[in-house]
Amino acid sequence: MSKKKFIYIIVGFLSAFFLGDYVVGAILSGGLDKYYGLNSNAELAIVGHSHLMLGIDKQKIEQELNIGVAKYTREGVNLDERKIMIDQLLEANKNIKTIIIGVDAWSFTDEGLSANSYKLFFPFMEYHSINDYLKEESDWQEYVTKKMVRTSRYNELLLGGALRGYLGNWSNLKNGKVDVPNLKEQIKSGVYRKITINNSKVNTINKILNTLEKNKIKVILLNVPTIDIMIDAQKEKATEVFGELNKVAKKYKNTTFLNLQEPWSHKYDLFYDGIHLNPEGQKVITAEIVTYLNRMDLLH
Amino acid sequence: MLFNSWEFIALLLLTMLFYFNVSEKFKTIVLFISSYVFYIFWRWDFALLMGAVSLINYFAAIRISQVDNQNSKKLWLSGAVILSLLPLIYFKYGNFLIANVNATLSAVGGHSQFNYLKVILPVGISFFTFQALSYALDVYYGRTKVETILLRFSTFVAFFPQLVAGPIERSSNLLQQLKTHQKFNRTSFIEGAKLFIWGLFKKVVIADRLALYVNKVYDSPELYGAPTLILATLFFAFQIYCDFSGYSDMAIATARMMGFKLMQNFNLPYFANSISEFWKRWHISLSTWFGDYLYIPLGGSRVVYLKWIRNIFIVFLVSGLWHGANWTFILWGGLHAMFYLIENWGDKLLKKMNLSSIKNTTWYKLFKIIVVFVGVCYAWIYFRATSINDALLITYKIFNHWDQSLYLGASSITFALSCGLIFMLVLVQLLQYAKICSLYFSKSKVPPLLSLVGYLSLLLGISLLGMSSQSFIYFQF
Repeated sequence: MSKKKFIYIIVGFLSAFFLGDYVVGAILSGGLDKYYGLNSNAELAIVGHSHLMLGIDKQKIEQELNIGVAKYTREGVNLDERKIMIDQLLEANKNIKTIIIGVDAWSFTDEGLSANSYKLFFPFMEYHSINDYLKEESDWQEYVTKKMVRTSRYNELLLGGALRGYLGNWSNLKNGKVDVPNLKEQIKSGVYRKITINNSKVNTINKILNTLEKNKIKVILLNVPTIDIMIDAQKEKATEVFGELNKVAKKYKNTTFLNLQEPWSHKYDLFYDGIHLNPEGQKVITAEIVTYLNRMDLLH
Repeated sequence: MLFNSWEFIALLLLTMLFYFNVSEKFKTIVLFISSYVFYIFWRWDFALLMGAVSLINYFAAIRISQVDNQNSKKLWLSGAVILSLLPLIYFKYGNFLIANVNATLSAVGGHSQFNYLKVILPVGISFFTFQALSYALDVYYGRTKVETILLRFSTFVAFFPQLVAGPIERSSNLLQQLKTHQKFNRTSFIEGAKLFIWGLFKKVVIADRLALYVNKVYDSPELYGAPTLILATLFFAFQIYCDFSGYSDMAIATARMMGFKLMQNFNLPYFANSISEFWKRWHISLSTWFGDYLYIPLGGSRVVYLKWIRNIFIVFLVSGLWHGANWTFILWGGLHAMFYLIENWGDKLLKKMNLSSIKNTTWYKLFKIIVVFVGVCYAWIYFRATSINDALLITYKIFNHWDQSLYLGASSITFALSCGLIFMLVLVQLLQYAKICSLYFSKSKVPPLLSLVGYLSLLLGISLLGMSSQSFIYFQF
């Protein structure tokens, strides 16, 4: 093989790869934008982790209120990551008037959620705030690879999200009902996530609310119900967290704390497991939120 | 250092840069340094162990070639074999022996127990030990000439592309190539790069994805019914094939990029229509090793019938033990020995009934391919299960628990993707079997542009679907 042909093959192959990578990356990014409602005219945004993801039906709210909704919820994200998601939303969407932020009894707890949740942000590393965050969280090899090769920023979860964005499928449902005796057994044996209050997390929520107040965006801190068995196991701590959330909400004029813990937490038929709602539970909570948004006139 | 890491790419590029640009007398030094750097990335102290195994076999081979007396030759060879195997026995089988001695003592009512060794297994110890030993054995049998240059021999034992998981090379192949200094060959580089992409795809896209399902099911087999256990076993059959053949492909490819030709280690094993053929297609470098250095010295098939059966069992049981210090591996080897003998008896029966001609029909061959695959998959249960109890439980449940529904894994996307990837692999292998696609640098009937698009898609597939958390299964051996 001649030197010239060899160079043509190598350069041609690499160029074709990076071109293919760019095109596939752009297609997937477009799908994710659609799925999460980024770069859209949505007036209402919903930000949280799986608890909120399974708790609210975005399409139902859109139908009932006749507004665009960006549902930006991701598995395992803690409060710090929710701050980054909100910063990203503010950068991408200019029409947002109201944000619903998912909170729960574990909002100020440090450990327990996925340690790898930062990986879900790789497709958005073009955003400054996310790029800085990823630089801190990932090792240099991972960071450089993702920076160079766009398709490597995705995993199956994100691929699924991109696909669902193009298919217009926003349903987040987990069918089934919580196994109450098993859950009680787990609680009895001490296998559950402990509630703690970490001051840095309280600071984070203050930072989020400060930013949103400056941007004149109304905020609902929403606690989607958690089954009472889980809360009763550490009732004092949970009450303390809800009290803190109430206190924080009162500090900001634009913020309210909507605690839907009662009257739903003891209705076991609504739960998929101790934390997450099943489709029936999602229906009930979405109806509650629609009523609340209408009543409070928060969208105007 | 894993093949799918930046460190490895950097090491490979630097090695090639130096190897092809230094004068001939420094080329072996470059390969020697690269090989030891590659190994030291895991543990520096184990590199000393590899060096010691090299020294033992180097000096033993020189003495074997120098002495005239056959008994003295045998003595030097025995010394080399024992000293080389000692670290392997200590690190790999020490705790297995202690566990069995302790269990025996308990069974006979003894109260004293031996403490377990606090050791970790040096990566690739079985591979470099067998490679070094094959050289001493070849010198003893007069199959190869003695190597007088220690640096070259040490490089042969530590050659980094195939150091930690084979193929187990023979001195007649690799050591000879180390004597002739390779020049950069553009065609070889591209051929190597293509095979590397295919090997990497098999490893990080297929094997590591299947591992998620297999690990979940095999970690708690008591929770699942027959459909799930069968599927997990089927997935494991493809996982271990893609994992190990993927590594072998990358090893062969890396060497090829530098101009070296390593032996083929896999040749479409699941298309074998007999157990004996399966072992000619699966981990070829190990099965030929056992053939040449164990089966033949035991007498092979040129002995009385009962002795031949004994030889078959010895080879398969030792092969099982080579894979791991657990009774599950020994049983796995024993199962293959049984399959081998049953097949032999079946062939004899056909001959007696004057039905030997049936063996040449397509339908019979297809039937045998399926039977062999099912048998191999059944044996994989013992290979993968963490204990014999688990393996027996899985076997029992496969025949009795059909009432539990199929578990689809944590994510339906992953499950669908896993099934799709297996389908794609089988399709590619069918094309390779039909000699339409190329296998190990053979001629391909695929047009070059289509081939280029194929490799481009594989690379994009690696980037998009590749997983990087799992290490190679065969590193533990």
